[in-house]
Amino acid sequence: MSGRRIGVYVCHCGGNISDYVDVERVVQAVKDNDDVVVVRDAMFTCSDATQQEIATDIAEQQLDGLVVASCSPKLHTFTFRDVARRAGLNPYEYTQVNIREQCSWTHTDDRDGATRKAVKLVRAGIARTRLSEPLEPLEVETMPRVLVIGGGIAGMRAAIGLADIGLSVFLVERKLELGGWVGGFGEMFPHAKKGRALIAELKDEIKRRPAITVFTNAELTAKSGTYGNYRAVVRANGESIELEVGQIVVTTGFDSYEPEAGQYGYGIDGVLTLPEFKRLLDESEGPLLHEGKPVRNIAYVYCVGSRDAEHPYCSRFCCSAAVHASLLAVDRDADIRQYHLYRDLRTYGKNELMFNESRKRGSLYLKFADDDLPKVARNDDGLSVTVRDLLTAGEEVTIAADLVVLVTGMVPRQNEELVRTLKLPVGQDGFFNEIHPKLRPVETVVDGVMIAGACQGPKTSAESVASGLAAVAQGAAVLKRGVAELDPQVAVVNVSACTSCGECVAACPFGAISLTTTNGSDGPGVAVIDAAACKGCGGCVPVCPEDAIDLKGYTDSQVRAMIDGLLVGAET
Amino acid sequence: MDYDVLVVGSGIGGMESALKLGDMGYKVLVVEKEPSIGGKMILLSKVFPTLDCASCISTPKMAATAHHPNVTVLTGSEVARIGRDERDGFHATVHRKPRFVDESLCTGCRQCEVACTVAVPDQFNGDMVSRRAAYIPFPQALPQKALIERVGTSPCSFNCPAGIKAHGYVSLVRTGEYEKAFALVAETTPLAGSLGRACYAPCETECTRGSLEGPLAIRRLKRFVADTHYALPEPPAVDRLASNGKRVAVVGSGPAGLTAAWQLARKGYGVKIFEAAPEPGGALRLAIPSYRLPAEVVERDIANVTDLGVEIATDTRVEDLEQLRRDGFDAVLVATGTPNAARLRVPGEEELDGVRSALGFLRDIKLGEAPDLSGKVVAVIGGGNVAIDTARSARRLGVAAVHMVCLESRAEMPAYQWEVDEALDEGVELHDGWGIAGFRGDPRVESVELRLCTSVFDENGRFSPSYDDSVRDELSCDLAIVAVGMGADTAAFPELVPEGARSIQADPATLQTAVPWVFSAGDAVTGPTTIAEAVGHGRKAAFMIDGWLSGSELAGFDEPLPVVDRAEVLARQRSHSRREPLVTEVHVAGALASFAELEDPLTEAEARAAAGRCLDCGVCSECHECIAACPADAINLDMRAKDVEIDIGAVIVSTGYKLFPADLKPQYGYGRFQNVITGTQMERLLAPTRPYNTVLRPSDGKVPERVAYVMCTGSRDQTVGNPLCSKFCCMYSIKQNQLIMGVLPLADVTVHYIDIRAVGKGYDEFFEQAKAMGTNFVKGRVAGITEKENGDLVLRFEDIDNGGVLAEAEYDLVVLAVGVQPNADASHLFAPGELALDEYAYVDEVAEDLNPAATSIPGVFVAGAASGPRDIPESILHAGAAVSQAAAHLERMKVPA
Repeated sequence: MSGRRIGVYVCHCGGNISDYVDVERVVQAVKDNDDVVVVRDAMFTCSDATQQEIATDIAEQQLDGLVVASCSPKLHTFTFRDVARRAGLNPYEYTQVNIREQCSWTHTDDRDGATRKAVKLVRAGIARTRLSEPLEPLEVETMPRVLVIGGGIAGMRAAIGLADIGLSVFLVERKLELGGWVGGFGEMFPHAKKGRALIAELKDEIKRRPAITVFTNAELTAKSGTYGNYRAVVRANGESIELEVGQIVVTTGFDSYEPEAGQYGYGIDGVLTLPEFKRLLDESEGPLLHEGKPVRNIAYVYCVGSRDAEHPYCSRFCCSAAVHASLLAVDRDADIRQYHLYRDLRTYGKNELMFNESRKRGSLYLKFADDDLPKVARNDDGLSVTVRDLLTAGEEVTIAADLVVLVTGMVPRQNEELVRTLKLPVGQDGFFNEIHPKLRPVETVVDGVMIAGACQGPKTSAESVASGLAAVAQGAAVLKRGVAELDPQVAVVNVSACTSCGECVAACPFGAISLTTTNGSDGPGVAVIDAAACKGCGGCVPVCPEDAIDLKGYTDSQVRAMIDGLLVGAET
Repeated sequence: MDYDVLVVGSGIGGMESALKLGDMGYKVLVVEKEPSIGGKMILLSKVFPTLDCASCISTPKMAATAHHPNVTVLTGSEVARIGRDERDGFHATVHRKPRFVDESLCTGCRQCEVACTVAVPDQFNGDMVSRRAAYIPFPQALPQKALIERVGTSPCSFNCPAGIKAHGYVSLVRTGEYEKAFALVAETTPLAGSLGRACYAPCETECTRGSLEGPLAIRRLKRFVADTHYALPEPPAVDRLASNGKRVAVVGSGPAGLTAAWQLARKGYGVKIFEAAPEPGGALRLAIPSYRLPAEVVERDIANVTDLGVEIATDTRVEDLEQLRRDGFDAVLVATGTPNAARLRVPGEEELDGVRSALGFLRDIKLGEAPDLSGKVVAVIGGGNVAIDTARSARRLGVAAVHMVCLESRAEMPAYQWEVDEALDEGVELHDGWGIAGFRGDPRVESVELRLCTSVFDENGRFSPSYDDSVRDELSCDLAIVAVGMGADTAAFPELVPEGARSIQADPATLQTAVPWVFSAGDAVTGPTTIAEAVGHGRKAAFMIDGWLSGSELAGFDEPLPVVDRAEVLARQRSHSRREPLVTEVHVAGALASFAELEDPLTEAEARAAAGRCLDCGVCSECHECIAACPADAINLDMRAKDVEIDIGAVIVSTGYKLFPADLKPQYGYGRFQNVITGTQMERLLAPTRPYNTVLRPSDGKVPERVAYVMCTGSRDQTVGNPLCSKFCCMYSIKQNQLIMGVLPLADVTVHYIDIRAVGKGYDEFFEQAKAMGTNFVKGRVAGITEKENGDLVLRFEDIDNGGVLAEAEYDLVVLAVGVQPNADASHLFAPGELALDEYAYVDEVAEDLNPAATSIPGVFVAGAASGPRDIPESILHAGAAVSQAAAHLERMKVPA
């Protein structure tokens, strides 16, 4: 007995756990454990009712430790720390035990085994809590300035949004001009405005805001510092500038897929990508001409560079963009014949109206099977596209076309240096990864570095703007307060045991450890850990030959106690 | 400014908006019309494409919203109107609907839910199971507080002049709680037995079932309840307050006096009733014939009152109110009824023997002094209820014939038609349309002289008979009984009858007379009415006397919710079985031999069946079981809506969407075929808090082996006026496919689609995953669905992948992937036309290109699906866009222009 008073709550997760784990048995198995003064089960421990119950228990039973056995700590650590805080218990006296992802969901075929494992996991959690101690979050003052990387429509609009809430912005654009893809576009959907005009408007707005400093022909070359206080080095026009910022928003956009030579006849005269076709539409007037010849027949081949083995994702915007382009084409020549060769037509939401209009105005749609792709060839009469059309009972149709438009999708922009500099997480599809699409959609695992626009995944222009503004809201929620709280579960050095060997410095992925040489005049110095930079990953702990580093919240003794907890009563 | 931002709607978009703004330091008010925050998302199973449990994502956001120091949440509230103010801000009126449960007291223990006697479809479970009228919306609801669904007062209760919660006791009988039903009636009056027999039951006239197969036998249920209670060997003691030392005298022991005495005695007053007649009970005991209301029943009802210690002094006529005051009574209630018979004022009426009043005649019978009328011919003058009682009583005294003479035509007679019918069935001969010219005979009446009545009422509808004296007739009789009305006896109370008045005058609102400590109630002030009205008046008098004696304002008596519209009750029934009313058998044969009660009591089975026909018009039946069950005393049925006025700087409209009502595609059979369900219902079947704990089909609980999805139900469909794509139905269906295959590994899942629109990060991969798991995707629309006898469904569809042939396939369960519709709530927030909508009635984003979420009104932003179909991640990002611009608006407001 350690004299602790620990409350344990075992969650059913509405069946997610209790369908596979005998929750009542878990409760019974731990209720007589030392120091456990209250054990309860709950349908949804995260529900407000149970939260209240826990808070009442903390107060009435004078709990000094809290264990919730439920889902992944990624989901609810903050939820229950908050419960503890509201009830007057130090949030770091709380341990979350994962009996869902790491137990019930992985052992759906073995109720008995899953139950025994859950018991052990909970005991380990109790063991850790027994040795927990109160910790106070590190408070750091944050810089009311934001670095926005990428001067496309999302970055420009985000910069304006940040400035409007009272934050200073540095907007960094690699090219000579702001504007990104949209700056080169003519008429866009669904609002029929020209991309160029939108960008011109944003440029005006930026000029009117002294809080925004624009660097064009510029790139981020280095980033250091800690959450809320980053030092970013930007090379603009060949000159390095050091900027101090509280946060970074990455809005570096996308690349358009470039078909390989020969793919759907790409390379043959008259076979264009969607951006090339849009440029053709934008840069001419009157009836469409290609190479001086009138364009009377257009075939569109959809999903080029999307939904294939190499790019298994859907690029989202291209169906709507191609349909919109065909409407522009028919505006120019009411008698033009247009053939759309598609797999699934994804004019989602209100974009469906464009699809309807295009059919009304003569576009024909032909559906090909995923494994039976159209073939584009050049013969004496011009281009021909052969397709097996499922909508006409699988008939093979050959279309004579003056132009073939390959409806190309979005691919992630290659940005190795930026990825390296910011340690940006890249997803399987090559786009940058958010922490969670619903809980934290613009944040990355790198504190204070957010992503918005198409660098996170394919989006339309308006959707990119919305996500840019969402990053504004997320950023302002921290920077408007001026203070950020950091997790105090960080590594600490026992200076009397440290021999300054430097192993930990090499092991730290965050550059949080340095060796001092100033510890006395003749000593070898010690390792010093910057608490604000330390992420509490624990990587330094096992490499220390002197066992001189401990991780708060996960001390060696706590980890040993957890292991003991896992092993006790193996027969249960 | 009360709040910086008003967020309308607390779905995912609203919560996200509130949390972000709160984090930035702005004060936020969230107004949610439902009783819990969380919107639609909290009711989902899992969410695509990560298959996170929806609760796990929602509940922390809900808790964070509710506990955020900068966020205030009002649930069960609606924003009635928002108007602009002069500083770029807004003024809003928030309509707080009553929850009928004090949130600050409720602990969420659900005792009320257990006790509640009304079950209605559970809208939070897709109407697939029922919930109670007192309920906590769902397990994760926030606040975790009960509420009581009251759409209004049920017509039966609303129309009870006595104020009895008719719906309440019907509901209790339905539940088998007969004793509680009696107690509920006793909350109002001690006269359950009498009313259960002799009340004219306006409740039944208004019963909504009346417009279907026939009304409920509400009155007879009350009799059943009373009989059951009186049959108990030891009826439980009545709740009453301790004596408060004050005394009240009640003059008159009719229904008004008895009810008042009962109410006052239970409130702790010392009550004494003074009755001039030899027996207490007034008309109940002395006028209403025993075949309708046996004296023992009245006596048993009266025993309720005397059991409380109320003393009844019979044969005691009060002549001096002041004396009562001197005798130590703090207040007096005069409820002396209408003992004086009205007279015809025709020749012979006064002078001849054998002409008498109906009241005296009936009273003699009830006191055991019935005259022997063997072989006599009786003429009863009058066409009202008393005349009928008189004629039918006479029939039971061995007469040769009974003639009823009345001015009115049969259709105009003031007596109830069924009463007239019964009288005629018993052999009473009716002479309608005749006036009385006089009585003849010497010294005993021998005949009644009749004259033709040409009209009874004048053009203003007032009683003003006119006659054609040239048309006369004569009716021989041995006895003439006059039943043409009655009036109050005011002789003893001159101080209560002001100059020029002919009856006792009391303030209609307070029932207080010119003498402050004297109140008057019942027929004595209103003129002849019904028992139920007298009971209601007596209860009101008790309320007022209590108020006066305890020094409170004489107001607040019986303020029911408005009556429910019966048409709406019928319209909201999704289905109801035909339930025939009880057939009332009256045994005329043999009835004339005695004064034995005519109507049979209901058997328990009949009573339960009769009560089971109730449609629960008001939803809550006011049975008061929740009040009794609540350990926290949190229930307050007197709560009423109130409006709160607030000033705000910016508005975020996050009112979300409505789902397409699937019955608008009749070819798919939703609402007719039980095994055709919607995607939202399937969400519930798959949710952790699922109603059946697994996926079953509704018709027979069979585990479905063949499940079909019909995509684009109500979307991309000009025939229902919605050409738009609803954006997320493909994905939720694909998600459900995977979950179904998890729950039912043997099930075959087929999706009939037009295009699979898996647009979003990881979505197409999620689609491929469903295909790999075995979902069969069939391109082509579904033309129609038919149902087989065993509940299986036959889909007729186009199979495009196989040459576009028309094909049929059988399924156990069909899920309609219903899409979204705009929520009209958003458009009602502002003055008409102020908030621009797009052509499909979604909130218009006027500058979507650069300012997504901005609306036509500066300072008003839209977040989530209120401006068009959006899935959860999109709604969250959209909320971020709304938040950042709302914050910018607020910052601009801070800068002086």
